[in-house]
Amino acid sequence: MWDWLNKWRAPVPEGPPFWEAYLRSLTARPAAKRQPLSEVEFVVFDTETTGLDPQKDQILSIGAVRACQWQIEVSDRFEYALQQEYTPVPGTVAVHGILPGRKIGNLPEEAALQEFLAYCEGRVLVAHHAAFDLAMLEAGLKKMGGGKLQNHVLDTGVLAQRVSPGHKPYGLDELLKVYGITPSDRHTAAGDAYMTALLLFKLLFRLEQRGVKTLGDLLKKPRKL
Amino acid sequence: MDNLIPRRVYDFLKQYPPFSLLSEDVLLPIAEQAAVRYVRPGEELFRQGEQPGQSVFIVREGAIQLFRESPSGPLLVEQCDEGDVFGIRPLLASEPYALTARAGEESLVYAVKVDGVRQILDAHPGVALYLAQTYAAGVGRRYSVDLKPQLFLGGQPAWGTADALLEVQPLEKSKAPVTCAPGTTIQQAAEVMSAEEVGSIIVVSPERHPLGIVTDKDLRKKIATGQVPLARPVEEIMSSPVVTVPAEVTMADAQIAMVRHRIHHLCLTEDGTTGSPVVGVLSEHDLMVMQGNNPAILIRETRRCKTSGELREIRERAEQLLEKYIYQEVAISFISTVMTEINDAIIARCLELAEAALEEGGQEAPAAGYCWLALGSEGRGEQLLRTDQDNALVFENVPEEDHEKVKAYYLELARLTTTALNEVGFDYCPGEMMASNPKWCLSLAEWEQQFSHWIFKPEPKAVMYCTIFFDFRPVYGMRHLGEALTAHIFEALDNQEIFMAFLAKNALQNPPPLTFFRNFVVEGSGEHKNEFDIKARAMMPLADAARVLALHARVPHINNTFRRFDHIASLEQNNRELYEQAADAYEILMRYRALQGLRQRSSGRFFNPADLSKMERINLRNAFRPIKELQSLLTTRFQLNLMG
Repeated sequence: MWDWLNKWRAPVPEGPPFWEAYLRSLTARPAAKRQPLSEVEFVVFDTETTGLDPQKDQILSIGAVRACQWQIEVSDRFEYALQQEYTPVPGTVAVHGILPGRKIGNLPEEAALQEFLAYCEGRVLVAHHAAFDLAMLEAGLKKMGGGKLQNHVLDTGVLAQRVSPGHKPYGLDELLKVYGITPSDRHTAAGDAYMTALLLFKLLFRLEQRGVKTLGDLLKKPRKL
Repeated sequence: MDNLIPRRVYDFLKQYPPFSLLSEDVLLPIAEQAAVRYVRPGEELFRQGEQPGQSVFIVREGAIQLFRESPSGPLLVEQCDEGDVFGIRPLLASEPYALTARAGEESLVYAVKVDGVRQILDAHPGVALYLAQTYAAGVGRRYSVDLKPQLFLGGQPAWGTADALLEVQPLEKSKAPVTCAPGTTIQQAAEVMSAEEVGSIIVVSPERHPLGIVTDKDLRKKIATGQVPLARPVEEIMSSPVVTVPAEVTMADAQIAMVRHRIHHLCLTEDGTTGSPVVGVLSEHDLMVMQGNNPAILIRETRRCKTSGELREIRERAEQLLEKYIYQEVAISFISTVMTEINDAIIARCLELAEAALEEGGQEAPAAGYCWLALGSEGRGEQLLRTDQDNALVFENVPEEDHEKVKAYYLELARLTTTALNEVGFDYCPGEMMASNPKWCLSLAEWEQQFSHWIFKPEPKAVMYCTIFFDFRPVYGMRHLGEALTAHIFEALDNQEIFMAFLAKNALQNPPPLTFFRNFVVEGSGEHKNEFDIKARAMMPLADAARVLALHARVPHINNTFRRFDHIASLEQNNRELYEQAADAYEILMRYRALQGLRQRSSGRFFNPADLSKMERINLRNAFRPIKELQSLLTTRFQLNLMG
């Protein structure tokens, strides 16, 4: 069922230098399936975008934290707004508050994506409704000559359903509420990534109680796209 | 959008001490270096005996329990909830952890780097003091020198204002002066004064130098009587020269000038002489209002009171003073001295009025004099709020045949006095421990017999009485009667050492609770309760321990609990630190009780933990620690475990 994942991990022979560097870095942080949960290194991330269509819309910001051994180092975070030219769809800005041309901690899209790859290396990627964020990232990478991301990817939405099967899929807001995580600072990529990381810990603990001990156990159920 | 995550950590930290004492520019970098740690239920964060790591912890959510490992299994020492700081050992010494930290439930904690906190200690005495107060045993006295216990009420703590009397602060405000020229008619001047609603007008030269002053008293005396016609110029009735003081006069100086010149108005000029322009006027009334409730004035006014209603007003003004002192975090030794002086003055005045009333009613004072004794908290000089009155009366020994008559007089005196005190706001003692009770209105010989009886037959009730009566303090009348009684008690104690053990055992009756957790008081047994009785559970155990130790060391005349501890600390070097902590704890408890009482308009005795702020819970909980240690010291010293 998950051999397509292995196919993914087959090295891609060529690409621009940043992509080759990324492929090399995968072996620097190998996420072995026998790793116990507490030793797995996660990058929990979120993107804010101009819309919901990976082909047309753009990434406005990327926020991420590294989570390992049930801990997040505040200083070890990834937080970039992307420079771009676009006309904001009225309403989007109202939700995430990012205005075009904002110059705080921002990078051109290419540089931001490269930085993000360097931040992730071979770590396990986690996002809420990960398929969408992944598609956004990959659309951006494709324009730069990169390929598909090779990391293991987990979706907190899917993990939540494993914890409470039979429930309808939850949005992040609902899950934060269910798991008692105060949702301040929502709707910024960094804020959401941080909150998602806290949610991940709570879900991991519950799965651990049900016999999920290693990364391999965690990946057993395929992510749904 | 940058720094969003550290900002979130910062927003949490800034709510809780000691971080709440830091400014944003100091705290934000600390938040930036923090780690967020998820702790699974039952998971250990660190273990007793382990070498400390590089962080101290603060609970973000959930519950972390601290255990002391013992041969009989882990012993719950502390339960930390949101905002509690723990694992502070690495900050203080590179000693192994003294306790094990385990999550009682799913928890989130912030791990704050020790280096960051250590850096700020020297620059922020408040943080150092807070840590010293909280974790005194490990910090040593380095950071607590000269810094008295504080509540950290928020805002700027009043560093160093402990003994600064308001009197010596310069007056900032005086009324804009109402002036007129010397040729103004009396009629016009009077009209201006009434329009401006002032009691005086300064007559000035064209350069605005003061030439004279006309007050409403002058108008009454000289005009209303028809002595001088209204059409005459004001210079004919003005007082001249004017008494002037510099604009930056202090309250004390202004007061002295008025008293010295027997006047009620002062003219403030630029350089303080009549040769410079007028800048303001200060009346005696202004001064009174500005001083508000100066203790000296309150005490002076007490002596002029003619009724208990007037005394009640004084006591209420004293309460405003108390409120101000409490919020300014003035040293409790100063506050209690002031409040005791005022209470004593009120008691003395009630007695004087009662004596006068009896004389008026034809009851002559007997030849045998008396002394009024304050008992309980007023006896210890710790009665900040008006709680129950506890008092007794001792009169000189009289021949058998006169005894009944003398006692009848003093009982009547006591009845009038306790009634008056009740009207002032000191409730009657529900246990009838008042001088109006025939049992507690006795001659010196009878009192000596009574104390001997308690000391040599220490049954539980006798010991209970002792805890109240042993804190007696002569307040009014023949103080040597009180001294004689103290001498007698010490002599009796010398002959009955076992009595001390009974007294010590009594001091152990009420062990303090373990801690506060969420909205509950957590007992040592793990039981949760909703209400905390600060008097019975924290103050009495300390007051009782101080009494035993002070009596044991035969310390006379010191009744005050924290002064008793301070004194014993000077006598017993090896337990000095514990006694000092106990004194500090008692001060903190007195502050809380007063604060709570002022807030609830009650005696301040009962708290609901839900109503306490985090800071308040931490302070109270910290005050429990020395109590526990003192109780075990008493157990050892008086071999109480052998007493059954």
